[in-house]
Amino acid sequence: MSGSRGRLAAIRATIAALEAGGRPDAGVLPFGDEGLDGRLPGGGLALGRWHEIVGVGLEAETSAAPSAFAALMAAPLAKKGEAVWVLRRDDLWAPGLEGLGFPPERLIQVCARDEAEALAVMEDALGTVGVSAVFGEVEAVDLTAGRRLQLACERRGTTGFVIKRRPFGGTGKAEAAGSVTASRWRVKSAPSEPAADEFGLGAPRFEVALERCRGGRTGAWILEADRAYSWEAGDVAHPLRLVADLGDRELAPASGRRRAA
Amino acid sequence: MRRVVSLYLPNWSVDRLRRQLGNDAPPPDQPLVLVGRVGRRRVVTAANAAALQAGARPGQAATQAQALIPGLDVRDADPQGDADALERLAVWALRRYAPVCQADPPDGLAIDATGAAHLKGGETAMLADMVDRLAEAGVQAEVAIAPAYGAAHALARFRRDLRIVDDGGIDAAIGPLPLEALRLPHDLVAGLRRMGFERIADVVHRPRAPLALRFGPDLGRRLDQAYARTAEPLIPVEAPEAPRVERVFAEPIGAPETLARYAGALAADLCRALEAAGLGVRRLDWLCYRVDNRLEAVRVGLARPVRDLSRITRLLTDKIETIDPGFGIDRMILVATSAERLDWRPGAAALAETATPDVFDLIDVLANRIGARRLYRLQPVESDVPERSMRKVPPLAAPSARDWTPDWPRPTRLLRRPEPVETLALLPDNPPTHFTWRGIRRRVVRADGPERIFGEWRRRDAELHAVRDYFQVEDDAGERFWLFRAGDGEDATTGSQAWFIHGLFG
Repeated sequence: MSGSRGRLAAIRATIAALEAGGRPDAGVLPFGDEGLDGRLPGGGLALGRWHEIVGVGLEAETSAAPSAFAALMAAPLAKKGEAVWVLRRDDLWAPGLEGLGFPPERLIQVCARDEAEALAVMEDALGTVGVSAVFGEVEAVDLTAGRRLQLACERRGTTGFVIKRRPFGGTGKAEAAGSVTASRWRVKSAPSEPAADEFGLGAPRFEVALERCRGGRTGAWILEADRAYSWEAGDVAHPLRLVADLGDRELAPASGRRRAA
Repeated sequence: MRRVVSLYLPNWSVDRLRRQLGNDAPPPDQPLVLVGRVGRRRVVTAANAAALQAGARPGQAATQAQALIPGLDVRDADPQGDADALERLAVWALRRYAPVCQADPPDGLAIDATGAAHLKGGETAMLADMVDRLAEAGVQAEVAIAPAYGAAHALARFRRDLRIVDDGGIDAAIGPLPLEALRLPHDLVAGLRRMGFERIADVVHRPRAPLALRFGPDLGRRLDQAYARTAEPLIPVEAPEAPRVERVFAEPIGAPETLARYAGALAADLCRALEAAGLGVRRLDWLCYRVDNRLEAVRVGLARPVRDLSRITRLLTDKIETIDPGFGIDRMILVATSAERLDWRPGAAALAETATPDVFDLIDVLANRIGARRLYRLQPVESDVPERSMRKVPPLAAPSARDWTPDWPRPTRLLRRPEPVETLALLPDNPPTHFTWRGIRRRVVRADGPERIFGEWRRRDAELHAVRDYFQVEDDAGERFWLFRAGDGEDATTGSQAWFIHGLFG
């Protein structure tokens, strides 16, 4: 058993090396929880790649939960360099980001006129020294655009976050069949659970499904931003905390199993 | 499509005189005329508003004006000085607005702003900036932008209501204007009037041949120039002492790759010139003269002085698609229109020290491609009202000393303007139990609030008593919203007591 495990790991390492094409690995950003990091290749969110974050229902238009989740996920990165957020509508509000622990003074916002421009700006930002994370609100990323984003990520080891957002009142473009994204997260809000003696709302929670994960396993969790809006600085741990595992897809029947190639 | 600005200075001579006199200038309500010589007569060449109102007219005999207006201040006109100052103004416009500017004596500037307006935040902002800056200097100005200089010229002088005209709008914009707007000699206009033509629209749709036979080729030429049917090349004013490199080609070039190659070669020349002078470029103009005597110009702005060859080349090659080479380009000029001191600086003080991250490059590339106004950071402003508490600043602006630490959570998405929601809430200070937004009814499970925000009476009188009570609510699915009630729930003077949604937490 252990022998086959070892061989499997060796094959995975070889494939990873081939995929990287000889470029140095940009590393990973661990969430700091075994249950989540164990599913992701390398034990954390892959840096130097781009990730897709998708909203549910009306959130696909308003994109509040997905962008809050993206900001939380990237907050440790944003402290290392400048962040660029490419928008189509300028409704992103810095005080909210600061409340989540994302430093707004490191954030450059770019308001793009159309989809193509947003992707082009993302590409440029990803290839810039000094930029650590790039967010882009776009409707759809086709294979070509995705590949270009990936190449731009690899140039400097910058991490991209594509937040799927369709224009207000739009029907949304048909999703392309394939995608080169490193991971896809479907995010929706989950009811908070304030402590019994606490008044008002608890820490924000997200129900997160990892739908695709290159080289890793899919899963679904409830995560909590337990230090959000507490105005405490200087924390090194990841701002997201795992609250509950919503079932292990690996254990599901083989027909329902979805693996990213 | 070309975009040409006409800047019209109706009182140029008088404004300039007042500027020269400074504190010694007579009060503005004192009638003042400038008097020059036409042949052996002394005639009024310009008059200020007070003198015009009192009956003075340009072209009038000086003695007549003096007899007409008691206490008239008469000064000598200085046509040569006016023309020289206009040239200097053209250089100012060149440095500030667009790569191709030409003085159009006696009282105007022609500025080809094709592909340059985005650096000033769009055409409306650029025109407003021109008028404001000149007004600060005490010069009255009228501006208009159109696809042809003829049309812009007519609009700036004869229409107050229309400032920006697109390709399709020329006819509607200048058709109703009188014939004088066409830059025709006075007797020609008089001749046309005698034949019953009053407005441009009357002439433009007439058969050309009889008109040309009667009035000569001028009329047709001016009409075509105004309607952007024929080219009207501007002769760009040159900024004195600006580092400038030039290449002339034996064979015209036109392929984008060739343009890119020579852009690189010119940039290398320019970098050498800048290095010798110890300068870095802030504003770069790339002028391409086509074989058909048209001028294609590109302007590139930089966030701080640069003389890095690869960066300059990249910014130039980014712009190649905006150049229409037509039948070919036979002369290329690269000018550092605005340059600043740039001394040598070590890259990193020590080998171990990593170079500080540097996003200037990205900001330059993006500002030139999509416009500087679309690129911003949010900076806190001293205000409790949420929509006023942030302002957009350029990405390289100095960080503000103030920190944003409100006592209450703030949403990540702020709606552009609060949207009304239907709610069910107990007065005076309970959060709603239900609300309906965009057709979806949501049940409020948890809520936090109220956070009371008072109107800023120092900004608007209407806000003297205004109050908003903000609540952060969570529905049964866990989605969080930022609602407020306009008013304190009791007193009708504090607001309408209606509920609005202002933001989303996610």
